[in-house]
Amino acid sequence: MEATNIKTRKLRTMYGGFHPNSSNMRLYAKRKEGAQGLVLLSRQVCVSSALCRKNLAAAGPEKFTLEYIQKQVEEYEIGKRHLANMMGEDPENFTQEDIDKSIAYLFPSGLFEKRARPLMKHPDEIFPKQRAVQWGADGRPFHFLFYTGKQSYYSLMHDLYGKILKIEKHQDRLRAKGLFSQDAQLISLGPSRWLTKEELELLLVETISTHDYDRFIKLMERMLVMPYSSTEEEFVQRYRRQLEAQSMKQMVPPLEKDENGVAFSTAEGRRKTSDSSVILRDCGSGHITINGQDYLQYFPVLQDREQLMFPLQFMGVLGRFNLECTVSGGGRSSQAGALRLAISRALLSFLSEGDGEAMRQAGLLTPDPRVRERKKPGQEGARRKFTWKKR
Amino acid sequence: MAASISGLLKPWTPRVFLVRWSRYNPYYLEPEVSKEAYSQPETELSAEEKEQRELKALRPIKAATSGVTSSVFDDPVISKFINMMMKHGNKVLAREIMTQTLENIKKKQVEKYHKASEGEREAIECNPYTIFHQALENCKPVVGLASIQKGGKYYQVPIPLTDNRRRFLAMKWMITECQDNKHRRTHMYEKLSQELLAAFGKEGNVIKKKYELHKMAEANRAYAHYRWW
Repeated sequence: MEATNIKTRKLRTMYGGFHPNSSNMRLYAKRKEGAQGLVLLSRQVCVSSALCRKNLAAAGPEKFTLEYIQKQVEEYEIGKRHLANMMGEDPENFTQEDIDKSIAYLFPSGLFEKRARPLMKHPDEIFPKQRAVQWGADGRPFHFLFYTGKQSYYSLMHDLYGKILKIEKHQDRLRAKGLFSQDAQLISLGPSRWLTKEELELLLVETISTHDYDRFIKLMERMLVMPYSSTEEEFVQRYRRQLEAQSMKQMVPPLEKDENGVAFSTAEGRRKTSDSSVILRDCGSGHITINGQDYLQYFPVLQDREQLMFPLQFMGVLGRFNLECTVSGGGRSSQAGALRLAISRALLSFLSEGDGEAMRQAGLLTPDPRVRERKKPGQEGARRKFTWKKR
Repeated sequence: MAASISGLLKPWTPRVFLVRWSRYNPYYLEPEVSKEAYSQPETELSAEEKEQRELKALRPIKAATSGVTSSVFDDPVISKFINMMMKHGNKVLAREIMTQTLENIKKKQVEKYHKASEGEREAIECNPYTIFHQALENCKPVVGLASIQKGGKYYQVPIPLTDNRRRFLAMKWMITECQDNKHRRTHMYEKLSQELLAAFGKEGNVIKKKYELHKMAEANRAYAHYRWW
């Protein structure tokens, strides 16, 4: 049948035109020639531009085809080699850091927003991950859970539940044989955490709600508690990330020796708007000099001197070290805080790992992030509002 | 938890600003300042403490505030009292008042000690810190009152108080009492030392206030079932 518009189809229904041998010309040829003699009025209908405008929001995020992305990857590789040649480096060993440095050199940008500056990265990092078309040429979707809308999530839950049932069947078999024991073979996970909701979304390449995520975690926890669940350990580990001990991340300043053979270390510290730098010498006298002055003179308040002594007293090395400090900016309390941080950091090079961990847990090595909160418009201060007048 | 682990370790501003928020991500744990906590060997700990230790090893820790030290002279209760007494951020003055108060208490007790006979000397407490703690303990109310609306009327219902709330009320009463009910020529530290010594002996206005609160709670016992938590 020819492609026809609605009007023509209606006319054909009225005048019985659906026989295989029929054609539309029957309707429109003149009556004296034996046809219906209808007149097809094709008016120019005036349509406003609002109807012709595309609904951009309904289209969703821009879709990139696989070929397009592959072309981008090739272009990126070629561009990388050109860039290496331009900078005089070896094209084979040109890493992403080198690319970033070269782009920052060739296109210097003073823009505040880092994401608005020129960048050159692998297309996998730039283009968001998309799913390939989920249905075949006949329009039937490949996955059996396609019409749920969240096929990866529901298939994951389905697999997880299948595994729980498998474990329960295994337990029943053991119970039938009389070999079941309550506290056997639970999964041992080590220091790790569950995937966060964002990481799970990345894995599944689809968005899930917090409710879905909570249900997933609950089901996982339920599986972990069952005895004989260690068979599914590998499956569970896929959804957990290892947590590394925090103490690994401490930067220990290097221990140097000056001309007299005295070991010393230098460190810096910051608090609010104060900057300080401390040289800790292993002399054995316990003198403290701040900006050339004695510490008793510089900090007349007891609380500030207590803060200086805090790391030394905590480690029990009060009279052992000589401190030569410089500090600038801020008020008395923030200068004391900056010095405390610098002293703790400098002390790390004289102490063992366990002592360093104890200092970290005492809160001596964390830079204090609290800063002055800005004043907001429409308010008198950061929090204080203007006097409320009823009228 | 926030978007990624690296994002958790930076100074943080929350997505939705509630009234109370802090620059630390909620992922951070509180610091433990006392030296004894770290000198305990592995064997003496219970299972919970072991778990707590492992958690501390993995999580970042907040910085210690500028009012705490690991020194033996540092007392969290006294620090809290000093902070509550402080006006307009003048910590130097508040701390000065506190030290003068403790000195004054010691002076008075030592005077009494020397004046007393041999048998009574053992009963006299000279350590100002124990006197302070005991006085505060004596001032803490056991039950408090909450204003609960039922059927259009507001009733004062007796409710249990948490430890923090009790300590706060005791300190607050002590401070307001000493700021308001004193002769304009007496210093704050004098009045405070008088009140603390009275509270140590279970007398004085603050103790009276505590007993009044208890009497009100006892009188309103009938409404205790209005509490739903």
